Amino acid sequence: MPKINQTIQTTPSFRVLSENQIEMIYSAALDVIQSTGARFHHEEALELFKNSEAVVTDGNLVRVPLSLVEKAIKCHPRKINLTGRTGKYKIKLEKDVVNFGTGSDLPFTYDRETGERRRTNYNDVVNAARIVDFLPNLDFFMSHGIVQDVPNPQVYDRHQFMAMLKGCTKPMVLTCVDGDGLKDLWKMASLFRGGEKEYRLEPLFVTYIEPISPLKNDKTAVEKLLFSAEKGIPCMYTPCPSSGATAPATMAGMLVQSLSETMMASVLTYLKNPGMPLIMGGVTTVLDMITTTYSYGAPELSLASAANTDISKWLGLPMFSTGGCTDSKVLDEQAAIESATSNFYAYLSGASLVHDVGYIDSGVNASLESLVMNDEIIGMIRQMGKGINTEDEYLALELIDKIGPGGEYLTSEHTLTHYKNWFQPRLQDRSDYETWVREGQKTMNDRIREETDRILKEHQPEPIDDKIQKELEQIIDAAEKRHSK
Amino acid sequence: MSEKLGKIADGLLHGKIDEVGELTQELINDGMDPEEILQKGLFAGMDVVGKKFRDCEMFIPEVLRSAKAMHAAMEKLRPVLSEESSSKAGTVIMVTVQGDLHDIGKNLAGMMMEGAGFNVIDMGIDRKTEDIVEMVKKEKPQILGLSALLTTTMPKMGEVINALKEAGIRDQVKVIVGGAPVTDDFAQEIGADAYAPNASIGTEKALELVKG
Ligand code: B12
Repeated sequence: MPKINQTIQTTPSFRVLSENQIEMIYSAALDVIQSTGARFHHEEALELFKNSEAVVTDGNLVRVPLSLVEKAIKCHPRKINLTGRTGKYKIKLEKDVVNFGTGSDLPFTYDRETGERRRTNYNDVVNAARIVDFLPNLDFFMSHGIVQDVPNPQVYDRHQFMAMLKGCTKPMVLTCVDGDGLKDLWKMASLFRGGEKEYRLEPLFVTYIEPISPLKNDKTAVEKLLFSAEKGIPCMYTPCPSSGATAPATMAGMLVQSLSETMMASVLTYLKNPGMPLIMGGVTTVLDMITTTYSYGAPELSLASAANTDISKWLGLPMFSTGGCTDSKVLDEQAAIESATSNFYAYLSGASLVHDVGYIDSGVNASLESLVMNDEIIGMIRQMGKGINTEDEYLALELIDKIGPGGEYLTSEHTLTHYKNWFQPRLQDRSDYETWVREGQKTMNDRIREETDRILKEHQPEPIDDKIQKELEQIIDAAEKRHSK
Repeated sequence: MSEKLGKIADGLLHGKIDEVGELTQELINDGMDPEEILQKGLFAGMDVVGKKFRDCEMFIPEVLRSAKAMHAAMEKLRPVLSEESSSKAGTVIMVTVQGDLHDIGKNLAGMMMEGAGFNVIDMGIDRKTEDIVEMVKKEKPQILGLSALLTTTMPKMGEVINALKEAGIRDQVKVIVGGAPVTDDFAQEIGADAYAPNASIGTEKALELVKG
């Protein structure tokens, strides 16, 4: 007979902040927006504010009454769907659906042949794209490296997008130089959907935009925000405060300030064109007080990001979080520890996009091997997230009785069915000592390197159709011409 | 009077900003040789700070409090220092080049240099090459510190150095460069005088450059 009054927890459940704490942070952020305000270095933005209930003083200091803030923040869609260029990969950005992906724009790469650190180039980005296209646990792609071997740095973003598209068919998050850059990227992406309106139904990328903490918004960031609002391009306004330097040294204070920054952007886009798909974000970390490094491996980064995710879920906004990254200079034990712990925490928090997977050297250096290692980590983490099923088949009472004391389960049909739901490592070694010796005493690092080699040798993504390829190149050529003047 | 020197050194160590400023003024009023205040009070104190920082006994927030105290003392002392002494604690212009908005590292490096006794003029972020050259002409600093955090703005550092040459003032100022994507090789390529991967090495290099 089925029972009544039962609560079944199908997955683990995790949160950092209680609802009351979220309300405290939200309320404090409203006060910041209303009393302290934020600066906007952009004419149109200031005009939009002046023509609203907001107050602009001191040239560019904007304060907004909380009634307007609360109206604006409710206007963003609660979910965003993204589709890769071929339609094969789709992801949903919504509460508690966790997608993992890379970060962007790393200036350096370890050359896989010489082992030397050198500047990242176009081909490095294509290779990172191919790796991400292959890896089953990476769901979206940011450029990983920054393309530097281009004629004009002011249009690097178009070339970079091209390199990304070449290698990867998964949805993307894109950085761009300015509003003009975003426009080109958006035009390029629209080609895969056959039109502007069609594109809106199936966007391929999210634009990455950042305020300057504390509470400043520069011209290019605002340009991108306004263009996104106009065209309904999904966009994240993701503060990068360093606790103790550009934000309070307390996690709560940093969260209050970051939320104010995001909500200010919400108001601006509301005034421009309500309803822009907005993703909350923040690489909320600490400035290491010995080295002055903006830390990508600090536990505070994970803690504050998970708390931020709690806030985002309460507000009904998708969340851009951080994991799989490290301050270590190479792919060593430190890298593995920091990657694993940050991925796990971000996963439990239920953030929509967990980015910077594969960053080493505090966001300065790129490692393809790190992507491969993190794929395995994320596989394990997703397994731990599956929770425990307690239906009859799973309690296995009948089976236990049938096998009885002293019996064995290896040959039972129940085992044959259910062991397939376990996590099977692709790279971790569980063999016995003798076998390990016979097979060459390989370390995890050796196996990661071999797997990276294999993917680069074998995996080719579906090519871009010739006609679209030409049109993409035309957009890039036109940008080059405009900027060479 | 020498007791006050000890108090200055101790005040620096403990980041007592007001106290260090006041004690410095008192010693000047007492008629002590400014050079002695500088060497035996301020530099002596900051040497200990530097050592404790290297040994991880002091952290950045404490070091910057000490630097602020140093700055407060130098405000009082600079007007009465001889020309020779004041060039040891010369002027530095710190600026982030055009197109670049990153300033945390530049600010930190500037504060550390204040801690070493330099007079730091902060030109802020995203500054045009012409403006930087104008400022160098106007302020005649011993050192120009350029910061760039983007591969796309790094070339502007070379542009500034060339513009200094064109203005005929390249030999009047030492240029030191820094920022995450900047390397020693790059600094040499563009003809900078020094490169620093972090604020404390930046301060050491700046001190070396003014010693000549
Ligand atoms: C915080 C941050 C930001 C903040 C900056 C806030 C601020 N007020 O500065 C914000 C969010 C605004 C920002 C914006 C952008 N950023 Co940013 N940012 C960073 C980040 C994460 C940390 C930088 C930092 O503050 N470090 C801490 C400080 C203390 O260290 P530091 O700056 O290196 O300085 C030390 C030394 O280098 C040295 N030093 C530095 N300058 C000087 C000068 C002298 C004279 C001396 C002696 C020493 C010295 O001493 C300092 C103290 O020890 C870096 C990653 C990284 N690890 O560097 C990316 C990074 C620099 N940013 C990057 C990018 C891509 C961007 C954006 C283009 C993103 C975008 N598409 O919108 C924009 C560009 C805006 C612009 N036009 O400048 C890339 C650079 C890629 C590239 N092109 O080369 C990086 C490497 C991250 C990444 N991999 O994507 N960013």
